Amino acid sequence: MEPLILKETEDTPEIIFNPEENIFKISKISVPEDAFQFYEPILTWLKNYEKNPNPETIVNFDLEYVNTASSKQLIQIMLLLEKIAEKSKVTIKWYYEAIDEDMQSLGERYNKLVKVNFEFIEI
Amino acid sequence: MFDNNLFDKAFNLFSRVEKQDFEYVYRGYFTHNITKKILVLADTNIQKAVARATIQKRIYYIMVEGLQNITRHQDEINYETEKYPGIFAIQKRKKKYFVTTGNLVLNEKIPSLKEKIAKINSLEKDELKKFHKEVLSTGVMSDKGGAGLGLIEMARKSDNKLISSFELVNEEYSYFYLQTQIPTISEDDEDEEDQDVSMRKYLISIKKLHLSLNIENILLYFNGFFNQENLLSLLAIIKGRMNMSITTIRLSNVMVEMIQNIIKHGQQNDESVDGVPGIFFLAQQDDCFTLTSGNFVKDTAKEVIQKRLEFVNSMTDEDLSEYYDKILLDFELGDAKKTGLGFSDLRIKSGKRLTYNFHKVEDENYFYILQTEVTNKKK
Repeated sequence: MEPLILKETEDTPEIIFNPEENIFKISKISVPEDAFQFYEPILTWLKNYEKNPNPETIVNFDLEYVNTASSKQLIQIMLLLEKIAEKSKVTIKWYYEAIDEDMQSLGERYNKLVKVNFEFIEI
Repeated sequence: MFDNNLFDKAFNLFSRVEKQDFEYVYRGYFTHNITKKILVLADTNIQKAVARATIQKRIYYIMVEGLQNITRHQDEINYETEKYPGIFAIQKRKKKYFVTTGNLVLNEKIPSLKEKIAKINSLEKDELKKFHKEVLSTGVMSDKGGAGLGLIEMARKSDNKLISSFELVNEEYSYFYLQTQIPTISEDDEDEEDQDVSMRKYLISIKKLHLSLNIENILLYFNGFFNQENLLSLLAIIKGRMNMSITTIRLSNVMVEMIQNIIKHGQQNDESVDGVPGIFFLAQQDDCFTLTSGNFVKDTAKEVIQKRLEFVNSMTDEDLSEYYDKILLDFELGDAKKTGLGFSDLRIKSGKRLTYNFHKVEDENYFYILQTEVTNKKK
């Protein structure tokens, strides 16, 4: 399967979804005006990946800023990961700055709502 | 800390600027980093508004000189700028641009500054060019690296007289206001206004604004068009201004939500401009930051917004958190762009109920003001 690589912009995150090397990462900033439009191809890619996932998928969420529009798209990604977790091993690694309790609590909120194994990593 | 005056103030401030015009003010300490971000913010807006590249460039150079002027004086009297912060303002009024700086200078420097400005203003275009060369080669005019040259450059680039004013602060310092006016059309097309009166008028208006900003301790004031580009520039200015802390992070997040709220829901009255008209300002009282946004909404939208605000404010913290989860998982909310989380998020991040107001402006239009607070304290 072709990897999905998107370079970061001023308001959208860097995306690395590379099954061959087994690297999955969403990082930096996510405050686009139209989050729906930005995340649509990412969700489509994941739906395809769900058909034939790696035995183990670790997805790193390492975000600095997330607007509410993006937070709603991120949970869609996680719900797809929940589906993938039904047939393979999935872990979400949630990174947050030590001082950023808001990013930490957003991760905790997701953890509560999605049935996927979470790891919290303070940086 | 609910302040009704601030609502009136927001509307009054917004009313300073007419359709298609704008004014942006940064007030505070100027670092190299912030100066850069201010230039980016101002430049993107000028590029959009001014068709001619030569004029764009001129305005840019004038802004650079103005900002350097501030930092130069700031370095001299570093310890006092905290109490009397300087301002940098860029304004568009009809067909003219105004770059204004206001900063503290030692009273003893005033006579020489006045002299320099008077000299520059006395010269015609060709004479000014000659004078520029002269100063470049001899360096006699300034006692401190190029201050005189900067003034000459501003006058030359604007092709206009420099407008200045000094406002006594105490026996040691005064505020030095310097304004450059840049017309984008030739003088002949201008209104038959008394030139001298009109030139002074705009400086007085900025001085008034500075006073208002001082009283409320407003650090950042943006009155004009909101779009994603401007939001990102403002975000960069906030990040550049403050130390990395949970307050800064929260402030940035809250600002993003408030400004995207304007962009998405504000009433767009003029299709010819790229953005939604509105106002945003950030004020600080001790450890508490107040963020205020204002924009037009139609009466129908007003009803929806008001209901939603009342609803979000009516909940307890626990209920709100549960509601947040519910909305997060609700993908059937009609328009995919509407997340429905904005107000809840603002309340959670500020740890307080939201304050708002609607001013009726015309038959179907309201000016809608939203205010949030971010404090240093733990939630």
